Amino acid sequence: MDLTSIGIKALDEHLGGGVLKGSTLLVMGNPGSGTEFFAKQFASTGEEAVTYFTSTERDEDVLNVMREYGWKTDISIVNIGSKYYESVLAKKLEISRFRQEGIHLSDIRRFEEKDMHKEENFLTYLSYEISKLDPPFRVVINSLDFFLENYDSAEVLMAMRTIKAHTQHSESVTLMTMLKGVHESRIQSSIEDLADVIFELDREKEGHEYRKYVMVQKVRNRPVMVGIIPCAFDETGIKPR
Amino acid sequence: MVHRSGDRERCGTGIEGLDTVLYGGIPRSNTVLLTGSCGTGKTSLALEFLIHGALNGENSLFVSVTENSEKMLANIIPYNFFEESLVKSGKLVLVDLPVMYERLGMTKAELTMEEIDLLVAAIASLVRELGTKRLVIDSITSVCYKLKTSEKIRDFILKLSKALSDVDCTSILVSEMSAQASSYSMFGVEEAISDGIVLMANMERRGDLLRTLQVIKMRGTMHSRAKYVLDLTPEGVLLAPLLKGGSAGT
Repeated sequence: MDLTSIGIKALDEHLGGGVLKGSTLLVMGNPGSGTEFFAKQFASTGEEAVTYFTSTERDEDVLNVMREYGWKTDISIVNIGSKYYESVLAKKLEISRFRQEGIHLSDIRRFEEKDMHKEENFLTYLSYEISKLDPPFRVVINSLDFFLENYDSAEVLMAMRTIKAHTQHSESVTLMTMLKGVHESRIQSSIEDLADVIFELDREKEGHEYRKYVMVQKVRNRPVMVGIIPCAFDETGIKPR
Repeated sequence: MVHRSGDRERCGTGIEGLDTVLYGGIPRSNTVLLTGSCGTGKTSLALEFLIHGALNGENSLFVSVTENSEKMLANIIPYNFFEESLVKSGKLVLVDLPVMYERLGMTKAELTMEEIDLLVAAIASLVRELGTKRLVIDSITSVCYKLKTSEKIRDFILKLSKALSDVDCTSILVSEMSAQASSYSMFGVEEAISDGIVLMANMERRGDLLRTLQVIKMRGTMHSRAKYVLDLTPEGVLLAPLLKGGSAGT
């Protein structure tokens, strides 16, 4: 079978060597459970060219973490967060300034060049960027939460289906992260349904420590591989315990 | 100019016939609805009101809602009494309300009550900054389309009139109405809350389409309620009494 590595040895072994090429993976967890960390470890491995879409971190934050763990960092980062900041949040800040301080004649003398720009649809942008990648690619989308917060859920699902189909046909691999229990259950279920493999990061309090688990919740057509893997986070990343 | 009822200071429109009808001009700080169907000369009259003000040293502001203000300016240059120095010196300022919407993030189809307050405050702050004594909004109907409900329209016009009259600014709100309308404005609310209504209309007479003007209401002054014939000339608006009784005209 044509498999590709997840970058976490214990999980690759558990899945019989990795995930099928063409798979779309979903990593879920509560805040602080390590989904972003998982995503970075995933981005540091494999033979595919890696594109890391981030909506929450700065480029250097991503790279610093990866360097710290000694992972390879020859990935390309597409920072949707900073693009969003530049075009949407900066605009919102400007609007709040005008609302607070009023408008001066110099502010409205003429339409500025930038006024002509329509607000960018980052969901379209994401799909478009992925469609341009040379297969086989390894894509990380960190995180779906950004899109679910900013766009209509039906639109997000449509885009994810497109990305999934593209990943499948090009024998590539895509990993998305999503917070658990934040979105409507109908939306969460739809995303879960779309994913070929689902990992959920969980922890349990035992005395003064957390015991951590990677739960393999779904492996499409291979239900036998579903299971719970006790693990630990150390200086090399996520490891079996 | 005729000055008769001396109780309130007047803001002369500079249009001789109209000032006569109003016994000297619009009572200062009034908000007047200038209403009529299309092609009746509302914008021309409103602009003339501003230009005469500016020529008299009063800072004048034209807030364009539907038309691009640069295009607007091109239209008034042919008037004989217009001087380009008025624009250069800032005596006459033309701005576009859509740009203000954009700056204030009011790009949605309908404004909220809070946004109405913000819009009024923004216009008022601009009027204060410029020391505006004469203001025209062309047209208030286009703003009303963004307000949708009569409550919001009422709220907006009341607050705007209040804010403008507080800074002693005399204002003309241009209002569109359909030719066969039973009220004086598109939403029926605008007319009830303004200090004055000037109605402009088309009237067919012996195969000719005449423009007419009639002051329906004006708080703070006596005025004629007769219908006048209006002529748009390069010298500006000319008013003549409407000859009654089906005379042949000249």
